[in-house]
Amino acid sequence: MAEPKRPVPAENVFVDTRPFWAGARAGKLVLQFCRDSGKFQHHPRPVSIHTGRRNLEWREVSGKGTIYARTIVRVPGPGLEGRLPLSVVTVELEEGVRIIGNILDRRPEDVRIGQRVALAWDKLDRGVCYPAFKIVD
Amino acid sequence: MKQHDIVIAGYSETKIDQKTGKSAYELGGEAFDLLLQSTGVPKRAIDGLSVNAAISEACNPFFAVFMCDALGLTPSWLNLSGLGGCSSLGGVARAASAIRDGQCEVAVVLGADALGTFNRSMFGAWRGEFLEPTGALGPPAAFGLLMSRYEHQFGLKYEALGKIAITQREHALLNDNACPKLRKPLTMQEYLSSRMIADPLRLLDCVMVCEGANAVLVTSEAKARALGLKKMAYITGYAELTNFGGDDPLTDITLSGHSQIASRVFERAGRKPDDIRMFHPYDDFTIAVVMQLEEYGFAPRGKGCDYVLATDLSFKGKLPLNTGGGQISAGQPGLAGGGLNLVEAVRQMFGEGGARQVADPKNALVTGIGMIPYGRNWSVNTALILEQ
Repeated sequence: MAEPKRPVPAENVFVDTRPFWAGARAGKLVLQFCRDSGKFQHHPRPVSIHTGRRNLEWREVSGKGTIYARTIVRVPGPGLEGRLPLSVVTVELEEGVRIIGNILDRRPEDVRIGQRVALAWDKLDRGVCYPAFKIVD
Repeated sequence: MKQHDIVIAGYSETKIDQKTGKSAYELGGEAFDLLLQSTGVPKRAIDGLSVNAAISEACNPFFAVFMCDALGLTPSWLNLSGLGGCSSLGGVARAASAIRDGQCEVAVVLGADALGTFNRSMFGAWRGEFLEPTGALGPPAAFGLLMSRYEHQFGLKYEALGKIAITQREHALLNDNACPKLRKPLTMQEYLSSRMIADPLRLLDCVMVCEGANAVLVTSEAKARALGLKKMAYITGYAELTNFGGDDPLTDITLSGHSQIASRVFERAGRKPDDIRMFHPYDDFTIAVVMQLEEYGFAPRGKGCDYVLATDLSFKGKLPLNTGGGQISAGQPGLAGGGLNLVEAVRQMFGEGGARQVADPKNALVTGIGMIPYGRNWSVNTALILEQ
């Protein structure tokens, strides 16, 4: 059976996201960090959402966190062929920022709010790495 | 300070349907023609126009200008209202300001959209890189996440969500403009067994996207009387907030901007929740109705489902809810959707609700919701109080 198609998004479209993708290639989850407030933000922005200034950098995060919200996507759409039902979660990372991703190692029905997660890597087309999560029991 | 100088003195609405093959201009023209017919206001008297940004015209930054050309209007005040499901209420508020500022005297606030004919949505931004790879493609996934968190914090009673869907469906049965496909009775069993879309979100928690248009006429009370208009609803309160929690990565997503604007709109109108006769909340999903019942103070926080189960929300009831069926049961005419419940509120206040007329429709609270951001609650929040 053919692998499902997982379109690779164009990088660096909205704002400068190259460090995120370079991090993913190196197996690291790299997110935007505001040097003035000492807080992370995700998705990336052109300025700090805390100060409005561009005193930003990119830092690796642990990828460890807790499930804040969860759903099971059951309706077809682009890039979803062969992936349904699909576990989609909002993860609250230890670094104080949330990220939306998939849980790769459980039946979607078994994913619950409050479960601890760790970083895992999913593969898009052409072997491009994309951050996802696995449950830590 | 309470202001009672600006009114909505007319409304119109096309039938809502799917696969009409019509454009936003065609539908907008129908709504405009109906508005002129129902008010008797001559076209030359209209010198202001606010047009909802439409998904079917999303590639066209000149949509409002083109609409003027399509309608043969020469307004001295023109506004393209890009607030998503808040565009109609935002358009009304901006029209009221423009009238007070002397920019125009008689404004039409027009919503028209036709996604089934042209779907030109291209939201771009962060969606491509940070959302689409996760499969959380559209509003249902975002609302599935939101509902799951609400359920985790407060519990969810599915019979309450079902009651919202059923109550609004019964209202749609009495609304000749509602999408024909939705004008069928609905039972709790059908609701509960409708398929999961994005757990715990069911199919019958969701709107169905349709095509359609609606319009209201906004002017001063004095001008309305000079035009010979007898029926009017006074705009006594409006409040708006965008991107609530936008600088807090750990915001509580079970609270929305409505929690912030509720006290403002009540204060401006000199009203409190108990005074409100009819509630016409933006209803893209049933959970949005539950949350707004809490945020506008009809129910305590986390108790919206209990309130729904304990309250008659029909047009005959204690707090009539979206008496035209709302978007959930009349159909969501794209980004004209924010005008659907507004038009119904005005219709009721004019005593033109027909078989679903609310007794003593002395006032109404109408709300809007626009856009869903990354991992948070909705973006734009608007609330409008109208008084007879």
